[in-house]
Amino acid sequence: MLPEPILKTLELTKSFGNLIAVNNIEIEINRGEIVGLIGPNGAGKTTFFNLVTGLEAPDKGQVVFKGVNIVSMPPHKICKLGMSRTFQITRSFGEMSVEDAIRVGAYNRLGENEVQKKVDEMVEFFELGDIRKTKCSDLGLASLRKVEVARATATEPELLLLDEVGAGLTSVELIKLMAELKKLNQETEVTLCVVEHVMQMVMGLCERIFVLDAGKLIAKGMPDEISNNQKVVEAYLGRRSYIESDVAC
Amino acid sequence: MNFFKEINLGKLLILILFIIALGIPYVLRANQYQVLLATTVLLYGVMATSWNIVGGLAGQLDFAAFAYLGIGAYVSGTLFIRFNITPWFGMILGGLVASGFALLIGIPLFRFGIKEVWYALTTSALVEILKVAFNMWEKVGGPVERCLPYFSGSWQNMRFVSYAPFYYIMLAMLVMALIVNQKITNSKLGYYLKAIGEDETATEVLGVDNRASKLKALFYYSFLIGMTGGIYSCMYGYIHPSFFNGPESTKVAILGIVGGRGITYGPLLAALLLVGAQEFLRASLGGEFSGLYLLIYAVIMVIVVLFKPRGIATIFQDIYRKFVVREVKNKDVA
Amino acid sequence: METIIQSVFSGILMGCIYALIALGLSLIFGVMNVVNFAHGNFVMLSMYFTFWAGSLYKIDAIFSPIITFPLLFLFGILVYHGLIKQTLQEHYTIQIAVTVGLMTFLGAITQLVWQARPRALAYSIVQGTIRFGSYTIALSRLISAIISLIIIMIISYFLAKTWPGMAIRATSDDSNAASLMGINFQRTYALAFALGSGLTAIAGGLLMTFQQVDPTMGLRFGLLSFCILALAGLGSITGLVISGLIVGISESLAMTFWDPRARTLVIYLIFILVLWFKPRGIFGRK
Repeated sequence: MLPEPILKTLELTKSFGNLIAVNNIEIEINRGEIVGLIGPNGAGKTTFFNLVTGLEAPDKGQVVFKGVNIVSMPPHKICKLGMSRTFQITRSFGEMSVEDAIRVGAYNRLGENEVQKKVDEMVEFFELGDIRKTKCSDLGLASLRKVEVARATATEPELLLLDEVGAGLTSVELIKLMAELKKLNQETEVTLCVVEHVMQMVMGLCERIFVLDAGKLIAKGMPDEISNNQKVVEAYLGRRSYIESDVAC
Repeated sequence: MNFFKEINLGKLLILILFIIALGIPYVLRANQYQVLLATTVLLYGVMATSWNIVGGLAGQLDFAAFAYLGIGAYVSGTLFIRFNITPWFGMILGGLVASGFALLIGIPLFRFGIKEVWYALTTSALVEILKVAFNMWEKVGGPVERCLPYFSGSWQNMRFVSYAPFYYIMLAMLVMALIVNQKITNSKLGYYLKAIGEDETATEVLGVDNRASKLKALFYYSFLIGMTGGIYSCMYGYIHPSFFNGPESTKVAILGIVGGRGITYGPLLAALLLVGAQEFLRASLGGEFSGLYLLIYAVIMVIVVLFKPRGIATIFQDIYRKFVVREVKNKDVA
Repeated sequence: METIIQSVFSGILMGCIYALIALGLSLIFGVMNVVNFAHGNFVMLSMYFTFWAGSLYKIDAIFSPIITFPLLFLFGILVYHGLIKQTLQEHYTIQIAVTVGLMTFLGAITQLVWQARPRALAYSIVQGTIRFGSYTIALSRLISAIISLIIIMIISYFLAKTWPGMAIRATSDDSNAASLMGINFQRTYALAFALGSGLTAIAGGLLMTFQQVDPTMGLRFGLLSFCILALAGLGSITGLVISGLIVGISESLAMTFWDPRARTLVIYLIFILVLWFKPRGIFGRK
């Protein structure tokens, strides 16, 4: 008998007008693993994240997190339960310093006296020491993404959803970020679910991969299985008859 | 309260300003009218400082300051007139009623996913609506002024022969508003509010209950202003629907924005500079240009917002930082 | 019963003009996601311009939009390029602050120039009353309502069938996609803002055929157009007209059966209730 998955979705469906952004998706994520969620632009990855984290309500289906159906639960309660995320288009707290932004996350589980320690810990872990007093609006993309991960990690999640953290980074930055995420996964046993465009990152990081195309789950499996899967190759390379438009939040 | 521990210079400055503030009624004592004007400057200081909690930290632009002031004034005044309850107690009840009313507005509008602009729109019309309502409500309001009973020089009932005591009461309110502001800024609520003001979606997934945080901010803000309303009614000696003053409410928001959203002393700074200048001009030129002031306020706000979006306090912050950095460097050398 | 029907009917007539006023606000909000707090003051300003045109140059209120429309259209372009454009990428508080600044500025200007005294035009060629059985209707109100509806239809035709109109619609659906398809969104924004502001000129002219104007009116027209916008949501002109009628009728009933002063109170109540229970509007699709 397999252990109970930390996250399970059942018949999850969401449409915007005539466009079915997420169509009947069922996936399972096990505790402690790193899974990837890939697919071409407009495949519904971000919408899927929004449904899971409670930012949008699904038309149909369930999201079961740690055995609880969290559909229609407000996002902050879902976070209290132990799930947090980052955003594809970074949502930084522009006027706040890096330290303060992380502090907002740290308050999720800790009181006034312990918060500072957590912030220091996060700053050290993600090597943000040089910029800890810098305003978020003055940061470059790589640092911003890191701060977002640090901020979400500070909430002490059991499941962390990362929405395209690798997009726009140089390969050096990418390799460093991957190492940090791996370390994070090993040290804190946090489950990671990564939406990614950058193949290098998904293949190097994830143990299992789900592939979405046009709102549907078309394949799942180990990285090398996926890269040889005919359907996946087609989805990425062929038959792109519809206009690309990302159903972002 | 890192602020006070770290920077002795700042502490000294605050002390000097406070002593000056204490001395002003003594300097102006020959002219009661001028003491009233000085008290008015403090009143706007209190209102703008309180406004900072909800409009500055939480980024929810509120244009209804005088709604809460008016409600506070009416509650405290009516209790005094009808039941002879001392305004010292009445002002606390006034604050509570005002904040209860504010929460009634906040509850539907602070839901997740409702754009901030709807809160601003709702509050922008609220004051004038209350003016109409209190004009119509003959039992409590009505178009005729209702005078507070007069006991000469009675501390218990907040009735004085001169304006100087009101000045000191208002100064105490200001100190209280500043302390509340500073306490919130350095607490969990403050960090939450600052983050909410930046990006609500991001805070929500970090486990922040946006609505609860914003409602707390609104509570502190409207309570402080409602209390001030009690003082306001005693200062003028009557209650009247004209207390619900729309343009002046916008002025409070303008002070907050011009001063610097989210910076504790920013709105106070703007109040001292702008309202101070306005009242000084009024004292020397008379009331002829009263229509002009609001126009100038609007122009100043637009200019500040376009060129110094974080307010004039940031200019002082920059200068101060330069100054402090130099200090530190000097120490290193030594 | 008769008073109810009379009251509802005059509410319907006012509602048509209100819908015209709110159309301008809705157009701007839909396209660039900016709520113009000064919208009500634009209407008031148009009324004062109409008053000037009428009292100084003897131009009848009903024809005054021939002058005031281009004036307000131009004013809209100026406001867009001078103020709104600078704030599009900024934090929402800055956007709000700028239009609130404009609102305060226009309010103060009207106070200074025209003073608190109400102003009205003595004479319009559209006058007299029509009798339907026992009901009387002021001809000026009827004609104003009809003209409002015609203008609303022209605007919806413009949005549906002409190239600049379609550009406005496309931009309000998705400004990124629209700019990819070669629509100059700066120009579209300016056009939408100017048109929204120009429409207030027409409404102002129509209102002046039977009403006086005073400096408190900006707030009232602002409030009722916010309320209609909240009721209608975005995207449906029919919804906007129906919302206009709802507001007009409620206001008229409140004035007849409660207290003439209660008109804004009732509109505000509707506004709050809509935001409470139907935050996306009754007819909205977004």
